[in-house]
Amino acid sequence: MLLKLAFRNIFRNSRRTVLTLLALALALLFLILFDSYYSGLDLKTFETLIDYETAHLKFYPQGYKEDSDNLPIEKAFDPAPVLAVLRADPMVKSAAPRIYFRSTLSNGIYQLPVMGLALDPAQDETVFTMKQSVIQGEYLTGTEESLVLGADVAKDFNAGVGDSLTLLCRTRYSTFQALDLPVKGLIRSNDYVIDYNCAIIALGEAQKALDLGQGVTEVNVRLNDIKQIDAFKKKYASRFPGLELWTWREVAEDVIAHSEGHAMTRYITFAAIIIIALIGISNTILLAAFERTREIGMLAAMGMKRRQIVGLFVLEGTLIGIVGSAIGCLLGLLLVVFWTTRFGFDLSFAMRSWGNIGFRNLVFKGAWDPGLILLAFFFGIAVSALSSIYPALVASSMQPTEALRK
Amino acid sequence: MSVVKMENVVKNYKVGKVDVPAIRGLTLSIEKGDFAAIAGPSGSGKTTMLNLFGCLDKPTGGKVFIEDHDIITLKPDQLADVRNEHIGFIFQSFNLIPVLTAFENVEFPLILLKKDGPSERRKKVLKMLADVGIAELANRLPSEMSGGQQQRVAIARALVKNPDYVLADEPTANIDTKTGHEILDLMQAMNQNLGTTFIFSTHDPKVMEHARRLIHIRDGQIESDERK
Repeated sequence: MLLKLAFRNIFRNSRRTVLTLLALALALLFLILFDSYYSGLDLKTFETLIDYETAHLKFYPQGYKEDSDNLPIEKAFDPAPVLAVLRADPMVKSAAPRIYFRSTLSNGIYQLPVMGLALDPAQDETVFTMKQSVIQGEYLTGTEESLVLGADVAKDFNAGVGDSLTLLCRTRYSTFQALDLPVKGLIRSNDYVIDYNCAIIALGEAQKALDLGQGVTEVNVRLNDIKQIDAFKKKYASRFPGLELWTWREVAEDVIAHSEGHAMTRYITFAAIIIIALIGISNTILLAAFERTREIGMLAAMGMKRRQIVGLFVLEGTLIGIVGSAIGCLLGLLLVVFWTTRFGFDLSFAMRSWGNIGFRNLVFKGAWDPGLILLAFFFGIAVSALSSIYPALVASSMQPTEALRK
Repeated sequence: MSVVKMENVVKNYKVGKVDVPAIRGLTLSIEKGDFAAIAGPSGSGKTTMLNLFGCLDKPTGGKVFIEDHDIITLKPDQLADVRNEHIGFIFQSFNLIPVLTAFENVEFPLILLKKDGPSERRKKVLKMLADVGIAELANRLPSEMSGGQQQRVAIARALVKNPDYVLADEPTANIDTKTGHEILDLMQAMNQNLGTTFIFSTHDPKVMEHARRLIHIRDGQIESDERK
């Protein structure tokens, strides 16, 4: 009967209840949409990082990571013994060496600093997905003397496939080196580090030009199962003298820090949304309590105890929570499935001026997280029940004699 | 045998910093089967008296006994239990729960009492609605009934749990004279048929004519206490 009474009570002032339900439903809807986009950002960023930059783990020379922003090549090492061991390990799907080096790109008129990346295409494509991102021309095939550029770098030089550019760099002995190379292909990876900033040449070509012999600056590892990262790290952390092993999260600590910063914004947004919903519901129940003062007095006169009156109002709040959360979560679910995960915001126009803000994707799409929607549902109910406690206490603290006189 | 009695009861209300006496040393015993009217002008203390009889308020001084228990010693939850088990209430403005049907309104105190199962409750409610003459209105909401019909539901609600006594605060004040008489006749019939004790307040001389015991109060004291 109490349930029946509570349910009918919430529709006594149906317009007000509908508005409250709408407030809660919209709060949850925005929460779900925000979270979908935030999660989508993180998910895509992490995916892009792993696919283009960090792989699952990296072997660096000792002390390289601390200085990695300067792309030093002096500590280059021979990857052959490492690759031989890794390729025999069943945990490892693939492994590939890379060299990152500082360089400047020039068309004879302008110069721009770029990040030089040298790779062995055949090995690299087993770990990274660079090859699939070629949008014009062709990818490197082996040791040819040519250049693949990030699409936006090419745009900066107004260069296209077939044009020649000069890559200026320094050897490991700090002597200058200039490579005149034709552009073979353009890459659009949605990783702005690659698209805006990267010039890719063949590994053998770079080793010759930089005087590195067989040396590389890193060996990248892709595991069969990403969940085995910790086990792999434990196994290989000190296996190779002179090398350090870093997980992708450690390599991309700046991006992770950004992501955690975004998480804070996300929590603050959530808190704001929830507080607004909480005040709305609290207000509705409080108004209902004041409107029903005499009825509360009558219920008390009939022998209803204080806790039962509190229970009745909390039940009403909970019912509002169930209905409002169901509406909000259902709408959220539909929008996530049919909108945020399908259509993203293209922010590529702004990304360059924003610089390194920790994202690695240009089109922000939402992620589908059923766990969050379920959590939002129960969270909505809990918020609603909680926000009805204060009005319930106010209602139940009325003296029956006073309440009956109203 | 008394169902409720007051001994030297004093009740003061605080208005600002001043104590205003509403009841001044009142001693009264209501006997089982009484059909008693408490009469007096506005402000004479009728409602305060009913509140004290109804365990809705505690006296400032003196004692109120229900079944030999002094209510002044009881905690709020115990008072709620006393009200639930021993007392029925009929209000001037009916005070039915607007979202419940007549049937559900009458069933409500039985649910609070937690003594009967659903089928037993149903039987009692239907009988009570028939007794007060509105069996056919069982499924109507209060908004779909006249004032007189609503007051009949309120009477059924007060009586369905078979209380020791029923308190009615000006039960006919909000209904027309003819219906008012019908309601009083009904209360009288219930008093005679079921033996339920009724205590009601009024300042209407015509209503007083129905009472078998007429207690006049003025300025918080008994002026007269007559039985017919």
